[in-house]
Amino acid sequence: MKVTNEKIEDSQAFLSIEMEPAEVEESLEESYHRLVKKTDIPGFRRGKAPRAILERYLSKESLFEEALSNLLPKAYKKAIKEQKLEAIARPSIEIAQKDPVIFKAIVPLRPTVKLGDYHHIQVTPEPIEVSEADVNAIIERLRHQHAAWEPVERPVGFNDLVVLDIESNIEDKPFINQKGAQYQVVQNQPFPVPGFAEQLVGMGRDEEKELQLQFPLDYPKGELAGKEASFKIRVVEIKQERLPELNGEFAKEIDSNFETLDSLREQVSADLRLRAEEKAKIDFEERVIEVVVDITQVDFPPILVEMEIDRLLNQRLQRWQTGGNSLEEYLASINKTEEEIREELRPPATKRTIWSLVLGEVAKKGKIKVSDSAIDTEIKNIIKSATEDKKGELNKFLNTPQSRESIKQTLITRKTIQRLVKIAKGSNMSIKTPQKEEQK
Amino acid sequence: MHPYEVLRRPLITEKNTELQAQGKYAFEVAREANKPQIKQAVEKAFKVKVTAVNVVTVPGKTRRVGRRQVLTQPSKKAIVTLQSGDKIEFFEGV
Repeated sequence: MKVTNEKIEDSQAFLSIEMEPAEVEESLEESYHRLVKKTDIPGFRRGKAPRAILERYLSKESLFEEALSNLLPKAYKKAIKEQKLEAIARPSIEIAQKDPVIFKAIVPLRPTVKLGDYHHIQVTPEPIEVSEADVNAIIERLRHQHAAWEPVERPVGFNDLVVLDIESNIEDKPFINQKGAQYQVVQNQPFPVPGFAEQLVGMGRDEEKELQLQFPLDYPKGELAGKEASFKIRVVEIKQERLPELNGEFAKEIDSNFETLDSLREQVSADLRLRAEEKAKIDFEERVIEVVVDITQVDFPPILVEMEIDRLLNQRLQRWQTGGNSLEEYLASINKTEEEIREELRPPATKRTIWSLVLGEVAKKGKIKVSDSAIDTEIKNIIKSATEDKKGELNKFLNTPQSRESIKQTLITRKTIQRLVKIAKGSNMSIKTPQKEEQK
Repeated sequence: MHPYEVLRRPLITEKNTELQAQGKYAFEVAREANKPQIKQAVEKAFKVKVTAVNVVTVPGKTRRVGRRQVLTQPSKKAIVTLQSGDKIEFFEGV
């Protein structure tokens, strides 16, 4: 066996392995012994046919292929041992030539991560602001939610609630037929037909009207697009929205804990702040990671990205799955081919791969460890949110070695991010611009 | 009898392949054929020299057809010894 390492690129080694004829012959002999035992050839008892007969019966090529499929993994193993390579996933093997047998293997190697000087990164958190306008917007929404509708004696205007008797047809087929339907007259409302709301404006109480409306050609519901609908409507009642006054009463109506309007405002602004903080925290974490990624040189085999794509695809599938739906059905439902969706997932998958590699390296360099007791606590936390009858099952599931390991990984990642965030926030005394530093 | 009608097919079995080492080849032949005809047919078909021909009549086997027991057609088997060094490559029927 001759092995030549042609080149190393993207953390992949390109090997070319040439087999000696004797090695191939040996493997052929082996395959013959294995195959002859399970092949029925007329005129022979199983396992008794000579090789020439078997070769003629099964064809020489199939024996050869069988021999190769056995030989290649063994030869590959030997080759990477000889070359002192460490493969992290299955290689892609391609047979280049049959006589003598030469095959090429692309071996994915352990990714190399050259961390920059992450001890001195610095990121300024975005200031959190909750403006008066935001609070007012929320309060305004609350007012609308708690508004009362009172009947009025005047023609219909926009933003009124109208009680209608509707009879309608689309090309002689009944469309909507309802007595006492409630309809909020909002401008540019596409329901039931664009322009319907506008037609109502100006109608008085008990007034009847017949109207014809055409669905636009680009109407989202394809079967209706371009069709004509005729309506016969009668306005039964017109109601106007009365917003509650902004005072202590209103605050109390929302929650009896609030005595005054101010306490409501306070609560709203606190909620907003909390949400903004949460978001800012995640954004900040992402920015910190980005900074670390920027100063790090990562070199990894593309197969890692493919694996990540597989995982993302599986996750999506699981989320989508309600019954035993297959990948094909999912693809049909979103109208995409597998290649398209894989292509679409490639950028996020690449990003995730890089992130996890970088974070893993930081965790290793920073000697971040998670104790067993921490994992136990985490499991307890997860179980707490589960329903009573599922707790036992969940506990059993989470305590399997695999899921413990995955929880450990999650915790390590979390801890690593926390450490980085701490560094990024607290390193005021160090250099402003992080410099790339070669670490061996 | 025309030589082309003599040989029916080569018989390739465990036993017969072992015999090949001794230069002996087995054929199923027409029942009407006799040893000289077989010899002639083999020599002509495979361009070899035949030194001996042994024949065996293979009796028919009883098979059931519905309720009746019937006999399958008996056949004739010929084991042909070639001059040492001559060889026949079988292809058909494999």
